[in-house]
Amino acid sequence: MRVDVEMSGGSPKLLERKQAVYRNLDERYEIHGEKYKGQQYSHIYFTRLHYMRNLLYSLVPKWKPNLPVNTVLGLEEEKECIIVGTIYKHMKLKPSILDEYSKERSKVPLAKPHNFVHPDDHLILEDESGRVKLAGSLLDPSAFVTGIVVALHGKETSEGKFFVLDMLEAGLPPQIKQPPSLTEDKFVVFVSGLSIGSSTFNPLQFQLLVDHITGHLGDENEQTFASQIVHFIIAGNSVQILQGLLNGQTIAPRDQSTLTEPIKELDILLNQLAAAMPVDIMPGPSDPANFSLPQQPLNRCLFPGASAYNTFISSTNPHQFELDDIQFLGTSGQNIDDLFKYSEAKNKLEFMERTLRWRHLVPTAPNTLGCFPFTDRDPFLIESCPHVYFVGNQDKYETTLLRGSDNQSVRLICIPKFCETGVAVMLNLRNLECHALSFSTSLNV
Amino acid sequence: MASGDIKGFYRQKKKQQKGGITKSVSASASKKKKPSKSGGSATLGATDPQTPVLFAHGAFDLTDDYGEDEERLRQFDMDMRYGPCIGLTRLQRWERASSMGLQPPADLRNLLSRASGPKSPDLECLWEGRV
Repeated sequence: MRVDVEMSGGSPKLLERKQAVYRNLDERYEIHGEKYKGQQYSHIYFTRLHYMRNLLYSLVPKWKPNLPVNTVLGLEEEKECIIVGTIYKHMKLKPSILDEYSKERSKVPLAKPHNFVHPDDHLILEDESGRVKLAGSLLDPSAFVTGIVVALHGKETSEGKFFVLDMLEAGLPPQIKQPPSLTEDKFVVFVSGLSIGSSTFNPLQFQLLVDHITGHLGDENEQTFASQIVHFIIAGNSVQILQGLLNGQTIAPRDQSTLTEPIKELDILLNQLAAAMPVDIMPGPSDPANFSLPQQPLNRCLFPGASAYNTFISSTNPHQFELDDIQFLGTSGQNIDDLFKYSEAKNKLEFMERTLRWRHLVPTAPNTLGCFPFTDRDPFLIESCPHVYFVGNQDKYETTLLRGSDNQSVRLICIPKFCETGVAVMLNLRNLECHALSFSTSLNV
Repeated sequence: MASGDIKGFYRQKKKQQKGGITKSVSASASKKKKPSKSGGSATLGATDPQTPVLFAHGAFDLTDDYGEDEERLRQFDMDMRYGPCIGLTRLQRWERASSMGLQPPADLRNLLSRASGPKSPDLECLWEGRV
């Protein structure tokens, strides 16, 4: 991939775009034609509990070596022990389909709050043998969600509740050792929330981004900078189709074009990008992909222009890949947005850190987030710690470097919605430093 | 053994009806605990060998038209160690248990793979089509 540079009065100089070795690791998220045979979600919870419990059992001897480990049914009153199970958070404000049928309609507020946390929420620990309510002030229910597996040290009280004295999370998973740092700067650009087809999309803004990245803008310095970009990731919500058209009624031929316009426009832009560098496009909540996680790759027939290039990669959501041996893991935002609805933290980065500590990418699936009912595995378990963990479609750009107890270091990135902020994120592979790339088309400064 | 437990159980019930003394109530309570723990409702099968659930009240009178193989497979269905049984064929559940390292009995797999004929064990779990 070459970028031509016109020097004043001289012959054009050719700049080569740098390349990085890419390996796609999305196989665990692909459905592979698995059919839904009417099974329920109990199988995912079973495999999740089994895997995490074995993991926690191996960590318990180092944590509290002298205490017995019990199942919930084997709890004895006033005897200190350790139990391992899945947390269930009973939430008062959690919307339930049964509320529509309840007699006291005034109980449920008509305006849906964005956050369903209530001071009366309480936690319950569950394993195959039974469940027990958790008491004590150590665990703050607003920091937890249903679906995570933890080990608890405590004892059963006379009321039949479990008084928690201490808690053990799995902690950050081990990291495949980071390769020695590269000698040259190589950049990866992340963008999300383009929302082509919505009223907030500004075509000029995105065209600016594309031109800048492909090297059609700026002088030699700018173009040198652009030639160091090795990969482009679009983290979800690339199109937005007018909801009014999707109400099930037949669409008049003249309206049919409004359905396909956004995707055609996206294809044209992707064509320009794919001609210049490898592009990964992930599906998001508003894209024409399946609703439940893991979202399958956007069909290549949607992008007749761009899919002709072998640099165009349609990936799943969540997306896992490797660039020059650096491990990347990311989603289009549904996991963090759901955590935001059902728990509290000081910022989105803290939610991301929690998912890593719990070693589960989407802890609230299948409870409040749609998920495919796998029978033999839970693909969202995080087995090895990525070097870069990104989440798309957030409100603002945030980043931090998280350090683990076992020498792990992860770059956490919250990618903002491009249609609202005009900000894309650039990551330097050499030192994992991040900065924002901001585009604006407004003439008033 | 099952019949012995039943006798013990019925005897205690009679005493309770009299509105018995505290001593007999506590004795009955402690004795009552034993059959419930070994009788096997929703047991884990984690440490002790699981007592057959379907034999809890000692009768073989429910044999219908299935054989011993089917009985063993039903025990496999009910064993909580290998996870939920509804929604999977028995073979799939066996394969899942095997890949999770739970070491299900190997001869069950042979039973399932050579299923044929009228008296053969069912490939689907016990509750398939019934719940």
